[in-house]
Amino acid sequence: MDEKILADKNLVVRHSTLELIEHWAIAISGLILLFTGIFELPVAKRYYIITVPGLGWSADFITSLYLHYAAAFVFSAAALFHLVYHGLRSEKGLLPQGGDCSASITVIKSLFGFGEEPPMRKYLPEQRLAYAGMALIILMLIISGLVKTYKNIYTPDMSHSVLLWATWIHNISFVLFFLAFLAHMAAIALRPNWPMVRGIFTGKVRLDYVRHRHSLWLAEIQPVQELPTMVVAEDQAPQLQESDSAIEDSTKDQTTHINKF
Amino acid sequence: MDKKNNMQIGRRSFLQITAGAAVLSGIGLPKKALAGTDKQLSTLIDLNLCDGCVDRTVPICVSSCKAINKDKIPPVVEDIPEPWPRKTIEDWSKKKDVFKRLTPYNFIYVHKTEIDEAGGRKTIFVPRRCMHCDNPACATICPFSANHKEKNGAVVIEQNQCFGGAKCKDVCPWEIPQRQSGVGIYLHVLPGYMGNGVMYKCDLCNERLKDGKLPGCVEACPRGAMLIGPRKEIEKIAEERAHAMNGFIYGKKENGGTSTLYVSPVSFEKINSTMEKKPGQPDMKPEVGRRMAATDPLGKAVLAAPVLGIVAAGALNWYSKRKEQMKKEGKDNG
Repeated sequence: MDEKILADKNLVVRHSTLELIEHWAIAISGLILLFTGIFELPVAKRYYIITVPGLGWSADFITSLYLHYAAAFVFSAAALFHLVYHGLRSEKGLLPQGGDCSASITVIKSLFGFGEEPPMRKYLPEQRLAYAGMALIILMLIISGLVKTYKNIYTPDMSHSVLLWATWIHNISFVLFFLAFLAHMAAIALRPNWPMVRGIFTGKVRLDYVRHRHSLWLAEIQPVQELPTMVVAEDQAPQLQESDSAIEDSTKDQTTHINKF
Repeated sequence: MDKKNNMQIGRRSFLQITAGAAVLSGIGLPKKALAGTDKQLSTLIDLNLCDGCVDRTVPICVSSCKAINKDKIPPVVEDIPEPWPRKTIEDWSKKKDVFKRLTPYNFIYVHKTEIDEAGGRKTIFVPRRCMHCDNPACATICPFSANHKEKNGAVVIEQNQCFGGAKCKDVCPWEIPQRQSGVGIYLHVLPGYMGNGVMYKCDLCNERLKDGKLPGCVEACPRGAMLIGPRKEIEKIAEERAHAMNGFIYGKKENGGTSTLYVSPVSFEKINSTMEKKPGQPDMKPEVGRRMAATDPLGKAVLAAPVLGIVAAGALNWYSKRKEQMKKEGKDNG
């Protein structure tokens, strides 16, 4: 991950191009899967969706299946790529950590004006929890979807019990995925989270936002890119990191290196 | 237990019915039929033998099927919920006696047709019911897996799991399943907004097969025009009969292959030309394709997708690490 501070542009690189591709591959294919999954239910004729311009095909279950398969190909490949690639590189910033539940409550309360937000890392504690939940849902969707696909092609006479399990796991996960998507959109709609939206499109977020909200993350990435011209003792580091002027100076002048990280 | 029973039915009924048919048709009984059966069963409908039970008001295969399934559909609620927003209600509960088309209360009917042949006009009777396809889209695409295929080849709709969305009917080339509104699980979920009854069709008398009995229509046919037995044997008999009468087979290739083989002295192009596809009265288009087959290559790609993702992740990680290593070595060297 090429996280770095671009002080002269007041930006911090939050996501690599690869991560952006992963996110949008899963997001776009997931949305296509959501809609074509709905169209695999007999709803398009009943609810007159076929009368909507451009959706005349929506009652054709085979056409929907084509699109569902095409999106499932991207979705499954991207999800497994994400899991394995970042697993191999030991990039665990999105995995839940101890205390995330209580920290999430504090953050959510602060979003509505109750109390102060604690200093945060790259991801918010509720983001880490949501990631784990979404990952589980996606995994269930993929596994059950693969069973159903295998049945469609090779074993139409698959055990009915196995098929019912796969079908209902898929259907329930589909509902959970939809709810998780709505929750994701709701989180974006909250004003304090707006600066992060830019990040998922461009990979970069504002430095002043990071300084204000993700001070722990800033402290983590700041020394990595700097030249070792000045060494700061470990017990001094937090103080320095919390200081906006110190961070700005260090990123501009490239003179600070913190051995702690 | 079920498997054992299916095997029993395979041997016993095949012998029993084939023997009867062999007597009528004058075609020899294949010896191999006595040796056992495959797991999968097939049925044969010989249009050269079926006379439509002209001496009866209702063909006996139809009346037998009706008698067996007369209590299958539970009582329909008095006030069937009106579906929203499209207000289609299909209620056959007051027309249970209809026998000249498929309905939720009538799983088989006999189509009568007159064909002009070189030798003169020929009357053909075609019993029509579910073909029990090899890879039935009606079952594989059912969103609740209420419709499924058994190992013996029977395609069965579980009426306590079906919401009556009629998707199975839409994807069936013959539009066989028929809906009865006002019954089923949808009444207990969101009646009016989700589901609209239960779909019904021939299930090859699957419960009777499990009990070691024959399907009602096969058992009742007085002319032995219907057979059931191990798939390979039935296919062999169909080939032999078609060859003997210089005739034709329907159901072997249609919709990707089915467990029902029709044998006819008249071509199915001609038979089909006399059929007008109407609700509950399917046509018989030769070599009608399995539409879902076109999605199979993409489905196979989906099955491979997780492996591709894992391989790509491994490869990119290796490449990235190598690049990082080379960069580091470059720095170290100068």
